Amino acid sequence: MNSEIQSFIEKHDLLGCIQCGRCTGGCPVTVRTNLNVRRFVYDSIDESMLDELAKLPEIWDCTTCNTCAVRCPKGLKPVEVLIGLRGILVESGVIQPTVRDALESVFQEGNPWDKPKATRMDWKDGLDAKIAEPGESVENLIFVCCTVAYDPKLQGIARNLIQILNKAGIDYGLIGEQETCCSSEVYNLGEAGLFEMMVEDNTELLNGYDAKRIVTVSPHCYSTFKNQYPQLKADVLHYTELCAGLLKDEKIVLTKELQSKIVFHDPCYLGKQNNVFDEPRFILSKIPGVSVLEFDRKRERSLCCEGGGGKMWVETESRKERLAETRVKNARELGADILAVACPFCVLTLDDALKAKGLEEEMKVADILEILGEVAG
Amino acid sequence: MKTFVCIKRVPDTSEAEIKIDPTGKGVDSSRFSFGINDADNYAVEEAVLIKEAGGGTVKFICMGPQDADVMIRMALAKGGDSAIRVDDPRINYQNPLQAARVLAAVIKSDEFDLVLTGCMSSDDSNMSVGVALAEELGVPHAAMVKKVEVGDGIVKVQRELEGGLSEVVEIVLPAVLTIQTGINVPRYSPIRGLREAQRKELKVLKLEDLGLDENSVNAANSMVELQKLYIPEVVSNAEIIEGEPEEKAEKMAAKLVKGGLL
Repeated sequence: MNSEIQSFIEKHDLLGCIQCGRCTGGCPVTVRTNLNVRRFVYDSIDESMLDELAKLPEIWDCTTCNTCAVRCPKGLKPVEVLIGLRGILVESGVIQPTVRDALESVFQEGNPWDKPKATRMDWKDGLDAKIAEPGESVENLIFVCCTVAYDPKLQGIARNLIQILNKAGIDYGLIGEQETCCSSEVYNLGEAGLFEMMVEDNTELLNGYDAKRIVTVSPHCYSTFKNQYPQLKADVLHYTELCAGLLKDEKIVLTKELQSKIVFHDPCYLGKQNNVFDEPRFILSKIPGVSVLEFDRKRERSLCCEGGGGKMWVETESRKERLAETRVKNARELGADILAVACPFCVLTLDDALKAKGLEEEMKVADILEILGEVAG
Repeated sequence: MKTFVCIKRVPDTSEAEIKIDPTGKGVDSSRFSFGINDADNYAVEEAVLIKEAGGGTVKFICMGPQDADVMIRMALAKGGDSAIRVDDPRINYQNPLQAARVLAAVIKSDEFDLVLTGCMSSDDSNMSVGVALAEELGVPHAAMVKKVEVGDGIVKVQRELEGGLSEVVEIVLPAVLTIQTGINVPRYSPIRGLREAQRKELKVLKLEDLGLDENSVNAANSMVELQKLYIPEVVSNAEIIEGEPEEKAEKMAAKLVKGGLL
């Protein structure tokens, strides 16, 4: 293993830590795992510890929700220490087979799900969807996300977006089979080299379009493009920002009523990482018949669903209640009949939790695009 | 230990829709993903583990087009020293005996102690190339190996048998082992390692480079001929046998006897 101690301390500003413990105090997964992020920040200062620290299973419990960084009074990013430790393990090659397969799949097929490139656009079969040609001028270049493109449970999200844009007469274009993973999860799994390569390739691909803005379906793609792709020419928007704007301009018209109590779960990568809190709520509030409820833990304090940070490929050993289960339970206690989200990972974790809690009859989990698809004219 | 590992690029057909191509003798692979054959991946790891434990060299051999280079580089990044890809359209890859002849020609042109192959390729599933290769090389072999211990001039291996049994065999080197999946945990080749692996030697050879006569490896002179590929017809013919357990067993046995299965 490589122990680049100088750069590790400097990179993560470890000497700036005052050991206040707010990172661990705010870390949502501490209720069900042994992860103590403060301890990792402290121990990483010792050069001889790094390789051993990287072998501790807790480093994979982190969901990279960013609460630790949001709460750190010194502006440090404890989450990055954990990602750095994962990187040491990745460089050694000795990683869990599920993580290995996801990373190899991104390298070979451009997605972490071991799916062929050639089937990436199957989700749009039978749909009148426009694919943009490189060099073409397009107002909204749609970046669909690997998980949405390949998971049959989520493909409806992308289909709804296309139908809504078609109805609204909005200029858009899809990337097509050339679309490759934004690599947010590659970064979180600690594969810095592959991430760097993907940023380079994706930047070239996306800058090859004359796009006014790139609109992402997933907050993970959104956050990564916005914060980790410095050379991107176009603005980056999450679909909730685009749709909120189109609703304000009355380009999206909501023709149907939906008599529902909806509570919105803030995805970490949209909310606490990028401060997009109001747009999803604005969209829901505009739907006739809907009353919007709020969790106690909302906005910056929103509870992570445990879907990010590579958790799709690493199971936490803890048998304690999953945070997604807590979230679903809380939603039901509020009297919600729809738990709305705006992130594919949140849909998957919360929908699983709904089933685990046996609440499928009383409530459903839906992406805002699925709800909009039902009510837009 | 001078080790050769034979690796093959195969399509992942686990979830794919299989369509026969217009020739009727191939499969439309335009919508498949490709990668290293699963069992070969374990063979790569085993060779690297042997090298890490006792030194030596690991060389990879692959037959196929340039598309396989990414897979070869990934294997090199894990700890291989060099690789040879045999790319010649005259080779009849579908005949495992002819494929083994080509592999043997590559290995014979060099020194070797150990040759590892996967026990089976996931596309053709012949399970023949490894053992045929041992025959071509004139060396002993063990198939379906799930544990390897290197000794002095020998390897002690555990072979997987039916019914959860294992056979322990000592084999004098040089030898061929066909590796079963699950023998180890194949490592990840990080991109930084892959970049370094770009500098390792990857030779591309033709039949002439191997001193092989086309007639010994081409389809025209193959004893195996692929006549037709077809998708098996889906039929439903389930019968639920009712009754008490003894009665059910009797009825079942009668049916098996009648059907010529017992």
